[in-house]
Formats: sequence, structure tokens, C-alpha cells
Amino acid sequence: MSLEKRDEFDHHAWLKEKDLTAIERVFLTTLVVLDKRLRIVDYLELLEDAYYKINLQMPKSHTEQYDLDNKFWYWYPLYSLGFFSVLAYIVAAVSGALLGFYYAPSTASTAAGTPVAYASIKTIMQDIQFGFALRSIHRWSAQIMMAAVFLHMLRVYFTGSYKEPREVNWLLGIILISLSMVFGYTGYLLPWNQLAFWAGQIGVKMSLSVPIVGEWGAQMLFGGFSLGQPTIIRMYILHVFILPFVVTALIALHVGIVWVQGIAEPH
Amino acid sequence: MSDTDTTDDARTDGGEETADSESTNTRADGGPASETSGTSSELRSDGGETGIVAPDDEVPTWSERKERKAGLSRLTYEYFERSRREDQELRQESDYVERDVLGFPTWPHEIIRNGAISLFFVGMMILIAAALPPSLEMPANPSATPSIILPDWYLYWSFGLLKLNPLNPGLAVLDGGKIISDQLYGVLANIVVVGAVAFLPFLNKGSARRPVEQPFWAAIGVGGAVFSFTIAALAVQNLIPLPLSLQLNIVFIAPVVIGTMTYALLKTLREGYMYGLNRRYYMLRPPK
Ligand code: HEM
Repeated sequence: MSLEKRDEFDHHAWLKEKDLTAIERVFLTTLVVLDKRLRIVDYLELLEDAYYKINLQMPKSHTEQYDLDNKFWYWYPLYSLGFFSVLAYIVAAVSGALLGFYYAPSTASTAAGTPVAYASIKTIMQDIQFGFALRSIHRWSAQIMMAAVFLHMLRVYFTGSYKEPREVNWLLGIILISLSMVFGYTGYLLPWNQLAFWAGQIGVKMSLSVPIVGEWGAQMLFGGFSLGQPTIIRMYILHVFILPFVVTALIALHVGIVWVQGIAEPH
Repeated sequence: MSDTDTTDDARTDGGEETADSESTNTRADGGPASETSGTSSELRSDGGETGIVAPDDEVPTWSERKERKAGLSRLTYEYFERSRREDQELRQESDYVERDVLGFPTWPHEIIRNGAISLFFVGMMILIAAALPPSLEMPANPSATPSIILPDWYLYWSFGLLKLNPLNPGLAVLDGGKIISDQLYGVLANIVVVGAVAFLPFLNKGSARRPVEQPFWAAIGVGGAVFSFTIAALAVQNLIPLPLSLQLNIVFIAPVVIGTMTYALLKTLREGYMYGLNRRYYMLRPPK
């Protein structure tokens, strides 16, 4: 018996018979080579599944099924507000990541007598190519996201979409809008200008006024009872590390639940 | 005894695969577990034999055993079985009309449309950012309190709630002293407002979706939205040329007035609107 491998299915003859174009032959050869090594065939089912999910044929919606929409449901354009919030969030995240390359969270004094954080924002705005644009885009996308989220919440309220199976998403939404506001607040403090400092002052006062846990909260969030280096570092870590992960995960969950439950239809 | 009971009950529902239909039937009647049935005697065999039986087709598999476990897990299993059956029945009796194409495929139709919308929105954001650049105020100076201290606009409502201290009741017993500090009062106001909004789905139930179907709740919503503006105006009270007491009145009265107007308006619209809606609905689905 020969030690040479036998081609039991006579792949060569099969290939010849198929009369493939060059592209097809290259593709098939690559596929065979990869499959011999990585057992792609085992994952084909997964791929197929994904393919059909992507090309999903949507079932008829409630309004379609009962033909209730011959009168236009005039709220529908507002259903895009949730998506618009996600979009603005993504723009803020990208521009924020770029700003993060140049920003320095420090209250130490520069030679000019301004805090380092403030000076780094100034550098971004005055010296760095597109820095001014970047900061402007970051601020505006954050503002627009907040506006979109508020309006999204109003549309969910006035279309009664928070009812029966969707209470969890409403609660999740409350958490998301609160965290978004914390996101905005922590970002507001980062330039360490007058507005930032005094908004921070109010934050400390607020948390100190809470009985029992107030002082602990002030130390945890602001790093003490007066503002300084510990405050700005905490705000920075919250703004660029903790909140991005938490809020992104919660948005994914929120939208995932919408995917599973479907959009609420008017009856 | 109780052990035997549970096993037998469990057998009743897992029924399909039980071998001796006789004993299954007796048990399915709901009578007390019969002492004479084969399974029970097996369980009680503590005397002569080993009690170990070679597995055959009737021996439940590990997953079957797991399904039949007593307690919460069993309840869960039964519930899922039931709801699956319910779904199946609903599907069978549904008058859902099948079509060849039920909607647009995600790719390319939806993706291209959504991509166009996304690009438009992002472009709009960049345009706004280019047209209205942000400013950078003076650097932080702990020794100079600015005359106007404000957070970003989306926190004005919260900031306004912090300024409700004129409403913090003083007690005559305490010589007009207050039980809780003004700041704590403001923090509590925030918690109450957010809590009330969060609690909403548990107060307003039912399947109504359109504001006309529920004028009361629509009025509450409009009142709330108006309140978010009036309370935000309280945050900038030092920029508004009105006496504080007047402004405090506006904060609470405007939402009520506008809410009432909404209620009246929707009540008026309601009849005609609901009439048309019901007519369309019942023309398509005449009552059985
Ligand atoms: C970071 C903020 C948020 C993001 C990114 C977000 C995103 C979304 C998206 C993309 C949808 C799909 C439907 C649509 O676009 O309208 C949705 C639905 C929903 N959202 Fe939000 N949302 C946010 C905040 C909120 C808030 C504040 C609430 C309410 C308190 C809320 C409650 C809901 C509910 C109940 C649904 C289901 C609506 C339906 O099925 O018709 N969300 N969200």
C-alpha cells in the first residue's frame, strides 16, 4: 500500500468538471485549505444562522396586520430619537477619545499661573490642528445627545411605550438618563475653569447635605470637602473610564431588550 | 412516603415515556400514590436485593430526571411547557396572513436608508459645532465667586429643585427653625421627582397608547414637561426680572393650568377620534 494520501472523493476531477473561473477557483482553493486546517465546516451553521438573521424578513407589525395605519401614525418620526441618541453618543465617544490624547487632568499651576488642565484645553483650542473643531464637536454632540434623550423619553411617555412588557426598559432608561447627566457633569468639570469649579462646589455641598452617607459620598466622588487635584482626577476617571463602559453596556442592554420585545405599536 | 409521592406525581406529567400505562393511569387520576405500583416497590426495596437495576429505555435520562425535580425548578419547567403550548395554540389559531415578502431585508434596504439618515444627523452635528464654537471661560479661581453659577442646561431642572428652599417649611415649635436643611430639602426634591418618573409604569397600566385614549395621563405628561421648564427657570431666577414669590407660584401653577388645558382639549378631540379608530378596527375585526 502506498503511503501517499488518497483523494477519496477525487476532488481534482470534481474541480475540473466544475469548470470554474479564476476567482472561483482561488476562492474554493482558499476555502479548502482553510477548512483542512481550521474545520470551517463546523462553523458553517453559525454563519448561515447569522446570514439569515441579518437578512431577516420582518414579520408584519401590528398596525400592518390590522391595517390600522391607513391614517398615518404621526408619532413615527419621533421613534428615531432613540437611535439619534445612540448616534450622538458614538460621535461624542470618538471625539472624546481623540481629545483624551491631549488633555491632562491636573490642577497644578503652569508657568502662566493657570491650572494644567485649563492650559491643556487652551492648547487643544489654539495650537493643535483641528483641536478647536474636536472640542466643539465633543461638546455639541454631548448636548445634542442629552436633548435627544429627553425627547426620546417624552416620545416613550406619550406613545405609552413604557407599558406592560417594557417596564424594565423604562427603568433602565431612567438609569441611563441619570448616568448621562453624570457623564455631562463630570465632563463639565474637566476644563477647570470658573464654571467648572463652582459647579463642582455645588456638587460637594449637595452631597455633604445628605445625612449619614453624605460625607463619605463627598470623599468618594470629589476626593474631599474642598476641590482640588483629587477632585479632577476622580472626575477624569469617571468621565473617561468608568462611565463609558457602564453607559455603553447599558445602552447595548437597552437596545437589546427593544430588539427582543419589538417596538411598541399603537393599537 | 413523601418521597414516593413526589416521584409519582412527577411521573404523571412526564407521562409520555412511562412504560406501564396501567400504573400511570391510576396515578394520573390524582389518587394517592399506590403502594403496589412497580416503581414504589423498587424504591422501598431495602431488603433482599441490591436495588440496582440495569438502565433500560424506561429509565429517565439525566435531563428528564432534572425536569422532574420537585420545587421551584419543576414549577419553572412546567411554566415553560405551558407557555410553549400556549404559544403553539395561539400560532395555530391566528389569522396571521403570510406573505411572500413580509418586510424589507436589513441589507441592503434598511442599512442604506439608516446610513443615509445617520450621515445626515452626524453632518448636522458637525455643522452646528462649526457654526457655534464653545468658549473657554476664565480659569478656576476659588477666591472669586462668579455672579452666575450654572451647570449645563440639561441640569437646570435639578438645579432649580435645589433652589426650592423658600418652600422648606419652618416649624413654629422650633421658632421657625427647619427640620431638614435647605440643601437636603433640594436633594430630597430631586429624589422624589426622579422616583416618581421611574414609578410611572406601575401606576399607569393597560394597553392604551394614544394620548387621546388617556387624556388624564397625557395631561400629567404635558404638566410634567412644562414643570421641567418652569423649574429650570427657577435655576436662573437671578436673570429673570420677576419677584421670587411670583416666580415660585408660576413654577407650580403653570404646569397645572397647561395640563388642564391639555385634558380639556383631548377630551374634546376624543369622541371623533375614537369613533374613527374604532370603526376602522371593527370593520377589520368584527366582534365574534
Ligand atoms: C442614553 C440614553 C438612551 C438611549 C441611547 C436609548 C436608546 C433607545 C433606542 C435606540 C430605542 C429603540 C426605539 C427608539 O429609537 O425609539 C429605545 C427604546 C426605548 N427606550 Fe430608550 N434610550 C435612552 C434613554 C431612555 C430613557 C431616558 C427612557 C425612559 C425613561 C427610555 C425608555 C425606552 C423604552 C421604554 C423603549 C421601548 C420603546 C418602544 O418599544 O416603543 N430610554 N431606546
